[in-house]
Amino acid sequence: MVFNSLTFVVFFALVLALHALPFSWRVKKINLLLASYLFYAAWNPPFVVLLWLSTVVDWYAAQRIVHSQIASRRRAWMLLSVIANLGVLAYFKYGTFLLDNFRVLMAAAGVDYQPPDFAIVLPVGISFYTFATMSYTLDVYLRRAEPTREFLDFALFVTFFPHLVAGPIMRPTELVPQFEKPRRASADQLRFGLALITLGLFEKVVLADGFLAGAAELVYDGARIPGALDAWAATLAFSGQIFCDFAGYSTTAIGVAMCLGFALPDNFRFPYAAIGFSDFWRRWHITLSSYLRDYLYIPLGGNRHGEARTYLSLMATMLLGGLWHGASWTFVVWGGLHGFYLGVERALRRRFSAYRPNALALFGFAVLTYVLINVTWVFFRAKGFAKAWLVLSGMLGMNTAAVPIISAVQLIIVAVIIGGLVTTHWLMRNSTLETLIARTPVALLTMVWACMAFAILIEQGSGNAFIYFQF
Amino acid sequence: MRSSISSSNKAGSDKASSDKAGSEKVGTHESVPERLTAADRPGVAQPVPERPIPPRPWRAMFIVALALTLLLTGLWEWRMRKLGLEPGDLGDGPSAWAEQRRRIDTEDVAVAIVGDSRILFDTDLDRFTALTGVRPVQLALEGTNARPFLENLAADPNFKGLAIVGIADLSYFRKETGLMGDALNRYRYESPAQHISFWLYRDLARVLGFLDENYRLSKLVLRLDPDLRAGVKGPYDSVWKIIVNADDRQAWMWPRIEHDDYLREHARVIWTGLLFAGPPIADDIITMTLATTRKAVAAIRARGGEVVFVRPPSDPVLRAIEEPRLPRAKGWDALLAGADVRGIHFDDDAAMQGLNLPEYSHLTRACATVFTDAYVRRLVQLTSRLTLRADAPAPLAPHDCLSQATVASAQAAQ
Repeated sequence: MVFNSLTFVVFFALVLALHALPFSWRVKKINLLLASYLFYAAWNPPFVVLLWLSTVVDWYAAQRIVHSQIASRRRAWMLLSVIANLGVLAYFKYGTFLLDNFRVLMAAAGVDYQPPDFAIVLPVGISFYTFATMSYTLDVYLRRAEPTREFLDFALFVTFFPHLVAGPIMRPTELVPQFEKPRRASADQLRFGLALITLGLFEKVVLADGFLAGAAELVYDGARIPGALDAWAATLAFSGQIFCDFAGYSTTAIGVAMCLGFALPDNFRFPYAAIGFSDFWRRWHITLSSYLRDYLYIPLGGNRHGEARTYLSLMATMLLGGLWHGASWTFVVWGGLHGFYLGVERALRRRFSAYRPNALALFGFAVLTYVLINVTWVFFRAKGFAKAWLVLSGMLGMNTAAVPIISAVQLIIVAVIIGGLVTTHWLMRNSTLETLIARTPVALLTMVWACMAFAILIEQGSGNAFIYFQF
Repeated sequence: MRSSISSSNKAGSDKASSDKAGSEKVGTHESVPERLTAADRPGVAQPVPERPIPPRPWRAMFIVALALTLLLTGLWEWRMRKLGLEPGDLGDGPSAWAEQRRRIDTEDVAVAIVGDSRILFDTDLDRFTALTGVRPVQLALEGTNARPFLENLAADPNFKGLAIVGIADLSYFRKETGLMGDALNRYRYESPAQHISFWLYRDLARVLGFLDENYRLSKLVLRLDPDLRAGVKGPYDSVWKIIVNADDRQAWMWPRIEHDDYLREHARVIWTGLLFAGPPIADDIITMTLATTRKAVAAIRARGGEVVFVRPPSDPVLRAIEEPRLPRAKGWDALLAGADVRGIHFDDDAAMQGLNLPEYSHLTRACATVFTDAYVRRLVQLTSRLTLRADAPAPLAPHDCLSQATVASAQAAQ
């Protein structure tokens, strides 16, 4: 189920009530585990089996890794876990994509190959929970983490519903210790958690779905040819939509967990205030970028084997990161562009290592970063390369047959929201939401909280899935 | 204050090496963030996150924010009711449609209606039931082509009853499925969460008037723009609220359309200026439509079912746009002849003339009852699958749904 649904409101109220009852900690954990399976089954019950499969395989593999003294055996069990998880991911997420590309390759070789029509359904959130559960065996293998003592704690780590389907992608060392001792939110934690849920849902329901999605859809899903104004407005709208959608989900997840007495990590740190692309990736989808860094980039060699190998590792990491988002070449290009940006930035840093930019230059670099990030969003949002090129050429003012697409009020809304969003990110770039709340007058905070809740209610929402669910 | 779940701090956990996925510090200008994240701790086990609670009077803030939210929502509900939104308007959508569609899988459904908004608005299910003793399953959808839904019925071996296909010619003779095409997908698979949310929404809509898709905050804001930008047909030019829905997907015209000149004129402009305007329907679309209809009708008949087409009324102003794009001879008449099927066209029945179509395309609630009465009485003559009950109410006539002023005006016009 999605956070922005009436079903979740009822579900969460029941879970909170159950968690507050005077059961033993073990019973409460079992309750949370069953609730998490229910949360996932509410989308498609049979796919709970995949969760169990991931859980059991990784639990067993980690146990074998711990008890094996021989390095090759430890490695074999680790590989079994990786292959099992990536195999499931490959089948469900990339099966159709791989078959389609194989068919194209065969056609290029003159072979008329028609793949069978499997009509594979993508289990929601599969990329998130396979990465989370895989991090357990990898951390145990790398001796970064102690194996979990109880299967219940491990199963709950994999399945805990606030992070299950769209992250933050948890590491075992972040969450498992929280299951070892009884936890219950204090009254203030509960209220702050509810405030975070309000903020997250406001971002998702009101800003992303209500006010930004429409402008992006008009250009990216329509048939008309955009000029510079429409192409830029739609792309900027999407940059705000995807941030508000995903950061809104993460904030809601953090709030939901907090209401139950648990802590989830930050997943965003005001990314549109980034100065440069390495800075961007320390701020955007932090739990994925750090995951890719720790389990892909560093094992590929990182920056330990010379410049050429570093650039290769960087590009490979970003290409695979792109593919993680979706089984489409447009996502690969999106990742490739980020890899290219990161490579250029690294080269420039080395070339101009003595350069110390002043405040104005830093602001200029931040604007340049945001503009170039928007170029990558074109490939992320477009459903194919033809549309991506059309929007890009529109952004460059090269569409001679362009027609006006987005209404004046939508243009104004995009300008106001994106302007406000980017300004907020810039002002908050080294701060936290908690610090802002601590410094803001109580009356203003209360008004903002009430207005956001009211806006969510009257926007109503239509239970639109979060964009990252498809990943 | 710190929550009890804090266990990391920036001084103690920063074991950052320079080995990051392109995440080297941005030279010396990079200031240290207030709270470290996994981005700042490469290649190490990540600690339990810290989530400090800002030192604020949360209890008082929560109580006041909750009270304010309830107050604002109450005022909003009051305002929406002043605008004509009422509790009990249940809305429509894929889940509501899927619920009705699934009845064919589990019940012996005698009559199902597929079609677009005209047969949806213009059918009074209670009147139908009072006349025949049979309550049809209402499967018509606003803004949506009936053809794919007829094909869906034709492919369902469970359906062996009478299919009433209500069409607006220009909606039926087109390639696109239209506004509510995803209803079929929802019927094929609806998640438990979607189903429960639908139930909850419906129960809330029985007591809250403001829960209306057309009066969402963003829609109200976007519709403020009367196309200020030259060349753009924006949200102002979409179809606004014209429908009210009750149980069993009984639908009728929103009463405010009958009384509010501005809303009525807006709807008229949308129908005549945008949605119905266009070039003549291409021959290949006509050929495709006739062929798929013939096939669907044959499939239903092969199982012992039957199909009857109904063409509900449209105002002469709209007919002047519809007829040139698809003349009756090329559309309606060819459809009946091609599929060898019976049909009821409002042109052909005096009891269906002169009804009130405030926005040119749909009947008022009162006239929908009169039209239903007329077409059901004709229907029982065309098919033996329905008979009039012995205690059926007396026939209605157009004057039963028209105000005195309207009748006088119509007579003067004649």
